[in-house]
Amino acid sequence: MAGTSKGEVLLQLKNVTKSFGGLTAVDSINLEIRKGEIFSIIGPNGAGKTTVFNLITGIYQPTSGEIIFNGSSIKNLSPDRVLRRGIARTFQNIRLFNNMTIMENAMVGQHPFIPSDLFSVTFRLPNYRAAEKKAHNRALELLAFFGSELVMRKEEYAVNLAYAVRRRLEIVRALGSRPKLLLLDEPTAGMNDAETADAIKYIQRLRQEFDLTILLIEHKLQVTMGISDRIAVLDYGKKIAEGIPADIQHNDLVIEAYLGRKVEGA
Amino acid sequence: MSASPSHFQQKMQNPLKSLGIRKKIGDFLNNTKFLNRSLSWYVTGWRVGVFWGLIALFLPQLLNFSTNFLDQTYFAPNILLLDAILCGIYVMLALGLNIVVGYAGLLDLGYVAFFVIGSYTVAFATSGIIRNIHSQVVNIPALTFWEAIPLAALIAGFMGVLLGAPTLRLRGDYLAIVTLGFGEIVPIVIKDVPFFYGALGFQVPPAPVVNTPFGQVDFGNPLDFSAFYYLTLAVIILIVMFNILLRNSSIGRAWIAIREDELAASASGVNLVRIKLMAFGLGAAIGGIGGVFNGVMTSSISYDQFSFQVSISVLIMIVLGGIGSIPGVIVGAILLRFIDVYVISTISNMLQTNTALANPSNPFHFLVSFNLNTTKFLIFGLVLLLMIILRPQGIIPNKRRQLELKGVGLAPEELSVIGEIEREEEGSSAPPESVEGLGDI
Repeated sequence: MAGTSKGEVLLQLKNVTKSFGGLTAVDSINLEIRKGEIFSIIGPNGAGKTTVFNLITGIYQPTSGEIIFNGSSIKNLSPDRVLRRGIARTFQNIRLFNNMTIMENAMVGQHPFIPSDLFSVTFRLPNYRAAEKKAHNRALELLAFFGSELVMRKEEYAVNLAYAVRRRLEIVRALGSRPKLLLLDEPTAGMNDAETADAIKYIQRLRQEFDLTILLIEHKLQVTMGISDRIAVLDYGKKIAEGIPADIQHNDLVIEAYLGRKVEGA
Repeated sequence: MSASPSHFQQKMQNPLKSLGIRKKIGDFLNNTKFLNRSLSWYVTGWRVGVFWGLIALFLPQLLNFSTNFLDQTYFAPNILLLDAILCGIYVMLALGLNIVVGYAGLLDLGYVAFFVIGSYTVAFATSGIIRNIHSQVVNIPALTFWEAIPLAALIAGFMGVLLGAPTLRLRGDYLAIVTLGFGEIVPIVIKDVPFFYGALGFQVPPAPVVNTPFGQVDFGNPLDFSAFYYLTLAVIILIVMFNILLRNSSIGRAWIAIREDELAASASGVNLVRIKLMAFGLGAAIGGIGGVFNGVMTSSISYDQFSFQVSISVLIMIVLGGIGSIPGVIVGAILLRFIDVYVISTISNMLQTNTALANPSNPFHFLVSFNLNTTKFLIFGLVLLLMIILRPQGIIPNKRRQLELKGVGLAPEELSVIGEIEREEEGSSAPPESVEGLGDI
């Protein structure tokens, strides 16, 4: 699985910079994510990883630079437009709709495919009903991807779910939009070893079954080293290294960023 | 709008619960049998709805029947029916505001604006008289009452979108302030722009007579309001159906999603601009329809009927009844109107006619000149306060709201230490002022 795949470039960040007043959270970053790979972004706290995600998904607009997805620019698009282009995401601190049922959460994820004009909705036109039914079936399929638990509990409120299951439901919601690229922001944060091992498995399955490209932010080396095809390391908003996991592990700059500078002559 | 439970709420024991009154009532209802069923069967679920629905349906007949044993000077059927129609107008307003506040979670304190717009639209459209900029009367082709209803809904809806557009990036308190301002501006424009006859008031032609296969129906007959009552009831039923259709649809889901988490909704493909403007527009359109009925019913409208108090009353109604719950807001509207029209004036009358109080040496003599009508918002406030302490989810709660208020709406990570650390980390890379209206990430 490791090794540089020479596939087509799906997402490209060109000199992307984002500053908040005097603070430059992301400093001219260049990234190329190729179709079908699992690409990880790692880095110490405050390195700007989540900001990169927010820039890609349109939550922030870059101060300068260009973001190209599937051959066209997605810079300055609103989050819902970015999603319609084929980029879905999950959040670091899970942002489910807690007081909606599991089914409703999965259905909201498919919002772009269901007509939401007043006329279709009020008169329940055939195209609306067909789309709603299709979305319902698709939601069931997606829930079933994670086993029977979510399907069986589909009418329960999302707030009742256990932590690891909430992460799964968030992925289900993201998959609803039929994305080409899935951004996972710390998909194993707060999970124990067994749950983490499970998450690693399903992330790999996701790529296979849904023909996805996956970009993830992760802290756990077990995850990044195990499943990533390539890794980029951020520190203070700059990309300090990029490469296959084996190279990153031995990169001096990376070790320095995480552990501090080697003392000369020591 | 979502409330997190405070320590105050958690510690505050429900007084009804602690006295065991609620349990006693419950036991009584469960154990008393009538026709092989416990009383609680009769007073729960859809059966309650059917009961009150029948009362609403036969209200004119019931009121006429009541003249057989009630004093007509106090219980004149036609006056009571008029009260019921005005109450119905408030039910419409509550249902409309429920879309904006209850479903989409956008706090609107200027809802009266759309009520005004509806009232004046019907006045202009059906009278066919406007004034030009020099205050000269100009005749325009008059529309019928039936045409004025959709016109008012369209104009009010358009104004709702107009209000919504600049406030898209605002939430919570900021949104409330802007909508409050809007609600103040519209009546002032009505008052001060000569075009609207604001200071003079405006006569609205009565509702028309309609020929049906069953004979003439006079909707504007001041001696018998029953036709207009049924019209009001029919429109309310249509609005309720419309609300239900919207709530159980992709639009309704998107509204609840933006109420829950605007950013996550946007990242799930919900177009915030569109879906928020839809809520504002539809809420406003229903307010406009309410305005039409108000204009025709009160026959003479002027700017001073449309104060901030109307907005607040409607908001209290939906909070009282249960935000986001259709039967809840209907009950809330009826209850508040009942307190407003009957309870307060009855108490006021009792104070003013009490012989013991009339004696100047009585220490409570000042109560005679105490006009409860001017202090009714004090009473509404007390009612609201009691409600928030005893039953914050409203009389007939919406299921989701109930969850939120019970505190289970807090996600586990919001309670955990990990969540704290994560949020701190995010905060370090993104100062709040950079958020550009999408809320903190």
